[in-house]
Amino acid sequence: MSETAAQGSPWAGDPPLLEVGDLRTTFHTPVGPLAAVDGVEWSLRPGARLGVVGESGSGKSVMSRSIMRLLPKSRVTSTGTVNFDGVDMMSLGRRELLEMWGPQLSMVFQDPLGSLNPVMKIGKQVGEGLRVHRDLSARAARSAALELLEEVGIPEPHRRIDEYPHQLSGGMRQRIVIAIALACSPRLLIADEPTTALDVTVQAQILDLLEAERAERDMSLVLITHDLGIVAGRTDEIIVMYAGRIVERASTRTLFRDMKMPYTEALFRSIPKVTDDSHARLEIIGGQPPQMTDLPSGCKFAPRCKYAQDLCYAEEPALIEVPTAVPARSSITDSIDDVESDPAAGVHLYRCFYPVGTPEAAEAFERNIASGRVSEAGVVINPT
Amino acid sequence: MAGSGNAHLRPEALLSARDLVVEFPAAGGRTVHAVSGVSLDLEEGETLGLVGESGCGKSTTGRAILQLPRPTSGTVQLDGQELTELDEDAIRDVRPRLQMIYQDPISSLNPRRRVRDIIAEPLFIALENVSRRTAMAVWQDRIGELLQNMLRRASGVMRIVGLLASVAFVLWILSETVEERAAEPWLGWTQVPAAVIGFPSLALLLLAAAIALLLGLTWVLLAVMLPFSLMSRQFGEVSSAVGLAGVVVTTGASAFLLWRTWSSFGGWAQWLNSGGLSLLTAVLAVWLVLSMVKPERAGASGVATTLSAMVVLQVFYVAGLDGGIKLAVLVASAVIDTLLFRWVLRCYRANRDAERERAEPRVREVLEYVGINPDDALDRRPWEFSGGQAQRLSIARALVSVPQVIICDEPVSSLDVSVQAQILNLLEDLKNLMGLTLVFIAHDLAVVKNVSDRVAVMYLGKLCEVSEPDAMFAQPAHPYTELLLAAIPQPDPEAELGTERIGGELPSPMDPPSGCRFRTRCPLAAERCAAEEPEMREIAPGRFVACHTPLIGEPAPARVDLATNAEGAS
Repeated sequence: MSETAAQGSPWAGDPPLLEVGDLRTTFHTPVGPLAAVDGVEWSLRPGARLGVVGESGSGKSVMSRSIMRLLPKSRVTSTGTVNFDGVDMMSLGRRELLEMWGPQLSMVFQDPLGSLNPVMKIGKQVGEGLRVHRDLSARAARSAALELLEEVGIPEPHRRIDEYPHQLSGGMRQRIVIAIALACSPRLLIADEPTTALDVTVQAQILDLLEAERAERDMSLVLITHDLGIVAGRTDEIIVMYAGRIVERASTRTLFRDMKMPYTEALFRSIPKVTDDSHARLEIIGGQPPQMTDLPSGCKFAPRCKYAQDLCYAEEPALIEVPTAVPARSSITDSIDDVESDPAAGVHLYRCFYPVGTPEAAEAFERNIASGRVSEAGVVINPT
Repeated sequence: MAGSGNAHLRPEALLSARDLVVEFPAAGGRTVHAVSGVSLDLEEGETLGLVGESGCGKSTTGRAILQLPRPTSGTVQLDGQELTELDEDAIRDVRPRLQMIYQDPISSLNPRRRVRDIIAEPLFIALENVSRRTAMAVWQDRIGELLQNMLRRASGVMRIVGLLASVAFVLWILSETVEERAAEPWLGWTQVPAAVIGFPSLALLLLAAAIALLLGLTWVLLAVMLPFSLMSRQFGEVSSAVGLAGVVVTTGASAFLLWRTWSSFGGWAQWLNSGGLSLLTAVLAVWLVLSMVKPERAGASGVATTLSAMVVLQVFYVAGLDGGIKLAVLVASAVIDTLLFRWVLRCYRANRDAERERAEPRVREVLEYVGINPDDALDRRPWEFSGGQAQRLSIARALVSVPQVIICDEPVSSLDVSVQAQILNLLEDLKNLMGLTLVFIAHDLAVVKNVSDRVAVMYLGKLCEVSEPDAMFAQPAHPYTELLLAAIPQPDPEAELGTERIGGELPSPMDPPSGCRFRTRCPLAAERCAAEEPEMREIAPGRFVACHTPLIGEPAPARVDLATNAEGAS
């Protein structure tokens, strides 16, 4: 993030590359409408890196598919605006979308084996986009594919280009998927849990690769994950999602330094950290993610929140901005480039009546312990 | 190291695996060296973390301890008992004490069964076997197993032969009937298949029919006996007296019916003449053919198989009788069959319910241990649960037989971080509550550190480092441990990523590097590492490493013989 901030350009008033406004995606299920994405709004500047974090079922993948327009046609409605560099994605037809996918937006999915064609040679799959979008000949596409394979760090690309996906390890497959996504030099890459199925070592390699490619191509990156640890060092801004809503949005550094939303805090605390002693008790988020077809009124996180009060159950908090979030903390960060030059640090939105770190939240927690709603360890025992 | 040696083993261990080697045959006569001389031990109440990348053999090691499959060489001792020498039955007796939790909770739970049955299953199978096995039950198990194996192994050629023979048998019956009517110029529909396939080689068909008869009869006998043996195997109460009586009675009855059919051979022509009856036989024979194609169904629908097999026999028998008596016997046998069917079914259900009831308190207890409300969960099926809940069910299934050691194979790798924390805390609680000893296999060092008392780092089938976790994490001794540590994603944007060192992939276990297996990716690799395999040695109290030049402590002393070899080589 320091790199992009130093260049100044990504933040300094370029028009956003992608603007998502009031995006709502609803699945019509037999038990009623399921609002998987419910009024999401954000924008991304060219070259910026956005992390989207949330548990399974929080709507992060559906959101990315809605933006890409990859959702099935029947039993799903998607409304709102998705503006990609002046193009209204929501109004595009199939043919126009095909022209967008690849050179403009591209996506990397979680399961590399599932997103590759098992009966097509790797070279052909990598070169396919180039042949379609750039009208390359088979031979030219092959040599371009070879270059791409080399670029994403496939050893012996000459041999691998004629192999099939099952002949590669999981990490190598994900590199192939990335090569396919990068083939037409997209301006935005959405990586949906790109490393969840992988080992930590391979995960680090893949994330490094994504970052290197992004920097080289000046591409924007949306990194979707359930692990705050992954987005911490590799994004400029983070969106935390819960029950299809954005519950917190801030620049990465601000978020980790000053998280406001109890859900973000709980996610953070549940990660086992190497610096903790062994057998250190992990803080858990009690309960289950909400039933999406039968959401609670009020704050959707309230039943699992250690700070929740009556107000939280009655009324849903709006997404509000943290006033003057930055200067108070500038003293802590003396070693890093000063916070003022990080314009994104100014935008810090959250959705909570009792934000973490405020005296109100501490009081609410005390009250909850006293009433037996929450255990000393901060786990909700008795949600009602 | 990734080297060998047993310096890290302790004298008083609950579970001790020595020099485990697991090799799998690969295409082209090559061998996959999945595990090459790993020694591990666990003291009672200890959690051993086993960590490494995919393909390093950590899961294979865990399974080798469970004898799933048996290691190629090496020994595994649980509480002083050598497991590698036990036969299948004896191993099954040990398994209640040695359980496993798998990575993917959804696919390790049968989606068609209810939670109450899934959790109770280890009780039925293993504990019944151990504690209440009588001589008679053992005998029945053996017979049942034998029959089941015969059917299962009758795959491939045998099954095809049986199938073809049975089809031929059906055609034979049809064609005989047709032949009797051959005087008529009219071709009935029953003749068409026979005309197409049957007539051209009537002689062959007759031969096949003879085989079919033999096979068919053998199979009918098997089908009659099998369900009872299977039932007795699973449902203890019926097993002893009633089950055996059932086997004896049905066998006797079948034998008698067969004999009567045979002795009334003279009446066959007459029987074949009556087209309706032979058609009925044909239908039943087709049913038999179908059950033959899927013999594994014989267990589940064994009762139905028995009944229909008996009906076939009865038809054979009835066929030899004359007009009025034939009808009477037919009706009577239908009534008897119905009653028999209902009786068998009732016994089956009653026993299943009784077993369920007996197991229920225990199932409820373990479900409560793992934090699942039994009232909600008992009658649901695994796919109705989220990943984390399903993993709790897997843990409950492992706990129900009160194990001494549980091998957890990546139990949290497919879960969200928030759920992962719940499962890790749960394992910790259960360990304290029940005094469990755990082997915790994972690829994330941060997760392993959280649960372990001792951590073993594996690379390509060998051990690199065995150490107490806090010391290991403060100061890794093996370069590979350091690499794994660098790969952990830090939830701190200010932290240095430090991931640029993580290069390369695991070499192929079919052709592992010489000397230290990690040398191809090791930043410190020297000539010695290629020539000489490092041995596990103690570099600090409680810290063992297999590396010539560890990051802490003294480099390994050169071995004299190897030093001279090196000289000779140069």
